[in-house]
Amino acid sequence: MPGSEGAGEELFPESCFALALRGSWTLAWGLESHPEILRGPNTKMEVFQTLQRLHMTIFSQSVSPCGKFLAAGNNYGQIAVFSLSAALSSEAKEESKKPVVTFQAHDGPVYSMVSTDRHLLSAGDGEVKAWLWAEILKKGCKELWRRQPPYRTSLEVPEINALLLVPKENSLILAGGDCQLHAMDLETGAFTRALRGHTDYIHCLALRERSPEVLSGGEDGAVRLWDLRTAKEVQTIEVYKHEECSRPHNGRWIGCLATDSDWMVCGGGPALTLWHLRSSTPTTIFPMRAPQKHVTFYQDLILSAGQGRCVNQWQLSGELKAQVPGSSPGLLSLSLNQQPAAPECKVLTAAGNSCRVDVFTNLGYRAFSLSF
Amino acid sequence: MVRRRQSICRRLWSFGDVASLVCCRDSVRTICPQNICSLRAHMEGKYYSEEAEVDLRDPGRDYELYKYTCQELQRLMAEIQDLKSRGGKDVAVEIEDRRIQSCVHFMTLKKLNRLAHIRLKKGRDQTHEAKQKVDAYHLQLQNLLYEVMHLQKEITKCLEFKSKHEEIDLVSLEEFYKEAPPDISKAEVTMGDPHQQTLARLDWELEQRKRLAEKYRECLSNKEKILKEIEVKKEYLSSLQPRLNSIMQASLPVQEYLFMPFDQAHKQYETARHLPPPLYVLFVQATAYGQACAHMKSSQPPRQDKTLSVAIEGSVDEAKALFKPPEDSQDDESDSDAEEEQTTKRRRPTLGVQLDDKRKEMLKRHPLSVMLDLKCKDDSVLHLTFYYLMNLNIMTVKAKVTTATELITPISAGDLLSPDSVLSCLYPGDHGKKTPNPANQYQFDKVGILTLRDYVLDLGHPYLWVQKLGGLHFPKEQPQHTVIADHSLSASHMETTMKLLKTRVQSRLALHKQFASLEHGIVPVTSDCQYLFPAKVVSRLVKWVTIAHEDYMELHFTKDIVEAGLAGDTNLYYMALVERGTAKLQAAVVLNPGYSSIPPIFQLCLNWKGEKTNSNDDNIRAMESEVNVCYKELCGPRPSHQLLTNQLQRLCVLLDVYLETESHDDSVEGPKEFPQEKMCLRLFRGPSRMKPFKYNHPQGFFSHR
Repeated sequence: MPGSEGAGEELFPESCFALALRGSWTLAWGLESHPEILRGPNTKMEVFQTLQRLHMTIFSQSVSPCGKFLAAGNNYGQIAVFSLSAALSSEAKEESKKPVVTFQAHDGPVYSMVSTDRHLLSAGDGEVKAWLWAEILKKGCKELWRRQPPYRTSLEVPEINALLLVPKENSLILAGGDCQLHAMDLETGAFTRALRGHTDYIHCLALRERSPEVLSGGEDGAVRLWDLRTAKEVQTIEVYKHEECSRPHNGRWIGCLATDSDWMVCGGGPALTLWHLRSSTPTTIFPMRAPQKHVTFYQDLILSAGQGRCVNQWQLSGELKAQVPGSSPGLLSLSLNQQPAAPECKVLTAAGNSCRVDVFTNLGYRAFSLSF
Repeated sequence: MVRRRQSICRRLWSFGDVASLVCCRDSVRTICPQNICSLRAHMEGKYYSEEAEVDLRDPGRDYELYKYTCQELQRLMAEIQDLKSRGGKDVAVEIEDRRIQSCVHFMTLKKLNRLAHIRLKKGRDQTHEAKQKVDAYHLQLQNLLYEVMHLQKEITKCLEFKSKHEEIDLVSLEEFYKEAPPDISKAEVTMGDPHQQTLARLDWELEQRKRLAEKYRECLSNKEKILKEIEVKKEYLSSLQPRLNSIMQASLPVQEYLFMPFDQAHKQYETARHLPPPLYVLFVQATAYGQACAHMKSSQPPRQDKTLSVAIEGSVDEAKALFKPPEDSQDDESDSDAEEEQTTKRRRPTLGVQLDDKRKEMLKRHPLSVMLDLKCKDDSVLHLTFYYLMNLNIMTVKAKVTTATELITPISAGDLLSPDSVLSCLYPGDHGKKTPNPANQYQFDKVGILTLRDYVLDLGHPYLWVQKLGGLHFPKEQPQHTVIADHSLSASHMETTMKLLKTRVQSRLALHKQFASLEHGIVPVTSDCQYLFPAKVVSRLVKWVTIAHEDYMELHFTKDIVEAGLAGDTNLYYMALVERGTAKLQAAVVLNPGYSSIPPIFQLCLNWKGEKTNSNDDNIRAMESEVNVCYKELCGPRPSHQLLTNQLQRLCVLLDVYLETESHDDSVEGPKEFPQEKMCLRLFRGPSRMKPFKYNHPQGFFSHR
């Protein structure tokens, strides 16, 4: 039928045009948004995983002895190991920002981690566990050993909030919920000393490099200085009693601590303050309203992080040098990768109330985020 | 200067009279100082007007006089010169005489000059006067011209005027003279006069229209009467229905006794032969499944205890008209072939018709539909009506829930049982808004339908499971018309789908009930979930309202959920407000249609000593994770219909713990607003200073998770 053929010819280019239009439209959409976001999580499992990721908190980080890997521990007891060298390389893809390996390390949250030259030590509720870095990277994640400090109470297992390596003695100091510092000999695995004095649980530890002295800060608002040789408390600074830095509405707890021989910086409920240790006087009070959860000395700067998105950089004089925003609403830990073995991976990483670890290649801006 | 001279002259001449002046003028040649003196004497006592004198004098002669005077002056001057050069005794006297003469001549010159001036002025005045007159005439002329133009315009307007009657379609002239009564047509007057004729025709038109209006009114009343009759008859018929029903009911035992129900079933099967293949598959499978269930349940007669009843609705005749009845109803192949032929045949002539008709044709559904009534334990019934869209080759479903007892519908439960959302996401991601048949997109492009979404309210939802129940399976990669209704596919999905449908209805009804008490601020906790919570909970739910999806998206503390893609538009959204003292906790709730297997998601915002959300308070974040992530311990006994209420109760407990363990600011005077009543092992724990949110049941203390 010639008539119908004519009609068909007429229709054909029109439908072609429509198809072409639709094609370009979907292409534009595809570029704009990720298909997964368009669809959203649907099944029970997907929703649960999304919620878990949303409510994840990364408490601790530790860089491997080779400097190329970063371990991060979250509130579900998982440790994820990221490859910094892959993520920082020029041909980095989205997958290289995902963990190389993730394993269940503890039942409770992983509050603290440190690395020795062979081991990764992680601590959570009541226990410290050791993992071999070499095995982790081969993805055979079996714990090497686990130790529990001698606790007196049995009703509740105290958590371990801080780990500290004392390289000179080859020992590890643990502190947390039972208000004591426990020293553990890494050679034998025995708990050698317990330092008592805090009246509430301990948040943080710091080592004075020159003399074998350890600083601890806790919920009771005091920073105590301990002599490791005599196992005695040498000095006590009750920060909240100094009017300049006390902030009663935030509480008296000391959340973070760092030391550089004669100088000590601490913060938390009270304002972030730089102290001269010998005279135990506050010298600089840093004007930051939000409680700080981590502080560290870096060259002639002080880096601090806490409530809020930013990593704060301070001059020793108390001036705010820079505030670099990250991707988490609150930060709990900073880690400076200064391993001499991997100079190309010299980065600052920050983690906190999200499933992402922000990576700062220089101190100026956030380069990208690693994600659980 | 001139004026002064005039005044002097007047003084000089005021003595002379007119007559002497005339004489003076006539004998001007002979004027001499003596004469002037005598003139002065004559003019005494009279006013002399030089202006008047001008009119009397001839300008030509004045000119002559002027010339003459000038010559005289020249002559006298020459003579004086002559005399002076000669010198002599008597010369002085002669010069004096000559000087006097020349003085007189000067006087005459002055006089002439004055006259010339007056003449000039007069001339000017006259010219001016004439010009004004001309101007006035010109203005008048223009006024008149304008008037003429205006009148001409009016005339053309009048000429162009169109009467309304010209638009009226009058009966033709012959007809008019034939039909109109003579008292209207008045042939003798109107034949010659077209004006009168038109008037008469208009009269006739009016008359006719009046008659028709009368007729119209009559018809209307007639129609009303008939309608009333129909109403009465309908009433009668509807009253007949229950009577017939009761007769049927009464006859049931007889039928059963005589094994007659097969007869009824047979009738239904007879109708089923006219169903399109997918609906037929659904019908057969659903009936089979219903019977199987009934047999499994008990040994009672099957008709009494049916959880699933199947019926066919719609007009069989229309279906017959659509399809040639297939020779063998079991043969699906030939059936679908016949259908193919039908559709192609029908489509051809519609090519030229409007797009709208094409759309309607495209979305046409089969006149027959299958009704599925799914009865739940508590006597609530889910009515499902399945349709088949013939040209799209997909099935759609409409749902309705009825309950045994009348439900008091809480405001916030509006969407729970709405037909649009009750079955949404029965299987994950199955929103029922897109067509499952990939081939449809090409058909839509032709008639300009963007998406099926705009039509689902009318047509019903084309959920994927509906297609599977109808045995339609659409491969993703091949958009072709090779989809054949398959019995095995339908059978494999029947049981799971029916179970899902039942749980869906039950969970919706449970929610419905719970919402009623939530709206009154009561969180219903059943006795078997009591162990999850301490005996004393002080925080109270004060508000439970439904909110729009857009409002939820705009809340400042729900950003995380929106970004994670958990806030799709198929979810239901609510806002809860929990209060204790001055503390107000807002909770934005996302209720997934897949509740209760997918938990509701809470986002919190506490207003107490400033605004606290998960971004600035770790403990608020922990509370969210307590209800959102650790929801499994709140599910209660299966099928966990209590999840939402347990979560809300948990939220109250969490708020209690949060407020009671808040560290007291020593610098502020007065007692704490919320004294610590809960037993806690420790107040804070860990680097983020978590509060003891976990409740330990038999001992009744709170600890950290």
